[in-house]
Amino acid sequence: MNRVKTTKLLLWLFAGFAAAVALNRYIFGLGVTTNLNDQTPWGFWIGFDVMAGVALAAGGFVTTAIFYMIKREEFHPLVKPAVLTAFLGYVAVIVGLLFDLGLPWNIWHMIIYWNPHSPLFEVGWCVMLYTTVLLLEFSPVPLEESSRYAKIRNFLMRFRFPLVLLGIMLSTLHQSSLGTLFLIMPARLYPLWYSHILPIEFFISAVALGLMMVAFETLLSHWLYRREPETELVGKLCKIATWVLGTYFVVKMTDLALTGKIGMIFNGSWLSDLFIVEILISTLIPAALFAVGKLRRNSTAQWIGSAMVIVGLVMNRIDVGGFAMVGGAASYTPSWMEIAISLGIVSAAILVFLLVVEHFHIWEIRPEDPQSLPEVSPSFDYSSRTWLGTPDVSSLATHSLAFVLSFAVGMAALSGKRLHAEGVDSIVVRPATGVDTLCINGNRDNQFVEFPHEAHIAWIKTHAVSLTIDGVIDSISATKEDSCTFCHHFNLPGERLSNCWECHTSMYSRVDFFRHDWHTSARGANLKCDDCHTPGVTRTAESAKQCAACHPAYKFAVNTNLAKPAFYIPSYVDAMHELCVACHKAEVKEVKGKPELALCTSCHKTGTPPELRAGMKWKVSVPHYDNVVLPNVSTVEK
Amino acid sequence: MSKAILTDVTKCIGCLKCVSACKEIHHLGADVPRVWDKNDGLSAENWTSIIAKPENHYVRKQCRHCLEPACVSVCPVGAMHKTELGPVVYDSSKCLGCRYCMMACPFGIPRYEWDKAVPHVEKCIMCYDRIEEGKQPACTEACPENATIFGDRSDLLKIAHTRIKENPHKYIDRVWGENEVGGTSVLYVSDINLDFLTYPTKNFDTPLPEETVAALDSVPYAFLGMGGVMLGLNWIIRRRMKLGGGPNKKDGDSHE
Ligand code: SF4
Ligand code: SF4
Ligand code: SF4
Repeated sequence: MNRVKTTKLLLWLFAGFAAAVALNRYIFGLGVTTNLNDQTPWGFWIGFDVMAGVALAAGGFVTTAIFYMIKREEFHPLVKPAVLTAFLGYVAVIVGLLFDLGLPWNIWHMIIYWNPHSPLFEVGWCVMLYTTVLLLEFSPVPLEESSRYAKIRNFLMRFRFPLVLLGIMLSTLHQSSLGTLFLIMPARLYPLWYSHILPIEFFISAVALGLMMVAFETLLSHWLYRREPETELVGKLCKIATWVLGTYFVVKMTDLALTGKIGMIFNGSWLSDLFIVEILISTLIPAALFAVGKLRRNSTAQWIGSAMVIVGLVMNRIDVGGFAMVGGAASYTPSWMEIAISLGIVSAAILVFLLVVEHFHIWEIRPEDPQSLPEVSPSFDYSSRTWLGTPDVSSLATHSLAFVLSFAVGMAALSGKRLHAEGVDSIVVRPATGVDTLCINGNRDNQFVEFPHEAHIAWIKTHAVSLTIDGVIDSISATKEDSCTFCHHFNLPGERLSNCWECHTSMYSRVDFFRHDWHTSARGANLKCDDCHTPGVTRTAESAKQCAACHPAYKFAVNTNLAKPAFYIPSYVDAMHELCVACHKAEVKEVKGKPELALCTSCHKTGTPPELRAGMKWKVSVPHYDNVVLPNVSTVEK
Repeated sequence: MSKAILTDVTKCIGCLKCVSACKEIHHLGADVPRVWDKNDGLSAENWTSIIAKPENHYVRKQCRHCLEPACVSVCPVGAMHKTELGPVVYDSSKCLGCRYCMMACPFGIPRYEWDKAVPHVEKCIMCYDRIEEGKQPACTEACPENATIFGDRSDLLKIAHTRIKENPHKYIDRVWGENEVGGTSVLYVSDINLDFLTYPTKNFDTPLPEETVAALDSVPYAFLGMGGVMLGLNWIIRRRMKLGGGPNKKDGDSHE
């Protein structure tokens, strides 16, 4: 099997899939694509694409510092690939940000509207400047292809040293400022991660991550293109990394000890376990591994160690970026679409990387050189497509096919997604129970409201009622016959007992009770679009037929004066109050003899008298009163 | 003069008039329950909400209009802005949608229009336009019990302390918002503990932006320091190479 081909094919598949998801993201917004929510507004994209991405791209400044500043000449073969990776990494970060920002087209606002108090402002500027610096650092490489650009190249080469220096200075700033972002959340970030020296910790770990990324990338590309592994050189990187990781560990533990939080590591909560795993993977095990000289020079150990550091420190960034927040992990796990997009961005970056190394002098030998790559594209591997001729075209065709196919798969996977994400209500209204007397316990606080059903029926049977509710409901006249529809709006056969809570599902907020999918589904009303929407007119709720056109018995929707779409119905509380209070007030003559019937307390008594409870047909199980969950540390530690 | 709102939890009957007044005046959309709602009633369509607590306690939640707001200090483009009058207002035309304000707010107030393709941040703006006209916010105007009132912050603080002094058995001896995170323009007096409105913080009374300031102050030093260290190292090493006749240059790629 050809490693390069297989890898590229996979990467194209990921990219195609991500492209489909990306469309979804931009058309329908963040809510449908991500699992982000008001509790955890930052998630995987900030943690992985942005924070881990910037740290992963730290290899560029670390390598240039070692080579140009500390003059370790033996690292020369690593400089160009590291700078290229860094540049692509930063571009990937910016692309990732374009997905995460709610208004990505405003990203340039950072240039004109300044808020120097904001760490994000500083990070933004540094990233912009550093990406430019990286471009200038790298551009001599493609420019050397043609003598026409020799002048520009020489010009750039002259400024190489100051450029590199500026790059290192800028990196120092934003690598640490990514930590500063979180200083303002002392209460939200779990104490094991929160620290006043978070910026310093971020900087040190970024250096380690950068080193290990360069090592890993060297190993990987050598494996990919079947080149002689540079074990010696990678070993040296590992040696430096051991020191950096050691420093990181000591700094982190000292800080925890000084702030008295070290005991929290072993308190057994799952976040502290996560912390232990993170430290083990990212720091302790690899540092121990590389501390042994023999292992450090062994390529298997190099693979394992560098991969561990990368996984561990990426995990660290994701944890800080949203996962280890108060209530974060409880309310948020990344959706598959978030992961698909991140994978797609990484894949695209790797594809560009491979393209560049195959066409420019990044390594001493260009990998597409047939000598270095003996098994490149034997056309019989693609026997069915031999007619395509040169191997280049064949791979182009394969790749576009892969892209399109996975794009289609992505679109298919998305087809079930709706703009209106399925909602869960914060307070679920409970059905009223009982027959003669309804015990309404709407917000589950055990504060029953008694509704003497039989008494109301008896009363209504002898009176004709007409009432207007706040101008919303046009005067509805209830005669003896249809007085039931007062409360049971759907006066359809078998639907006499439609309960209030079935439509007024939310305690306090207005709700959209219209079930569009039921009306169109074959097992529901099985209607065609034109059955309700006028052909040629934009299909909106307002321009559609009103409910009453088909449901003449549905009293409350008959009203056509509603300024708002008729589908929004009042909350449970409003529905109950409007109906009861309006009626009691309208018929004030009737209740005049008993003025207490117009008081709130005539219904809202504290609790239900035991004798009434005993007489109730069905037992009401009363859940513990707690309809509001607010974040606090104790819910997280559990 | 800095304006403020004082809410007396003991007086609130939970009638939700403030909620509907706010919805009406700001043309906030109808509620459709969403998966991304937090369970405190606030949402992109509800800038204020009533949180029911045991024994007929109702607590109104809204933006606290901090005196030193975290949201304002973190916004990279200054879309959040603390006005002279007190309200913290939002400029949707500047916003990038980074949602840093939502992360930083110690009360978890700002909400996002997650369902929109062009989403904005939503939160109470203390009816800034009405205040400028000399009127009071819609919610305080709508309250039938005067449980939530509007006025100058210093006056309201006086009222709050008077109420506590006159009824020491009824109230908890504390005005929420007087000192928290450096003081807020929305104050509460209550007979139940209101700490559930805040993310628990240790340094309760210091403004959160101070946490960042120290780090940002050291930015120029870190920047120049790193440059200095690098140049110094480079100088020493090169000198050493020259003296020791160190290793030869392998190629012309490096500077010189
Ligand atoms: S409560 Fe939150 S949103 Fe309101 S001003 Fe304070 S920090 Fe900003
Ligand atoms: S989401 Fe908008 S208002 Fe909030 S911090 Fe970001 S740019 Fe500022
Ligand atoms: S002050 Fe204005 S914006 Fe804020 S909750 Fe009251 S009515 Fe709404």
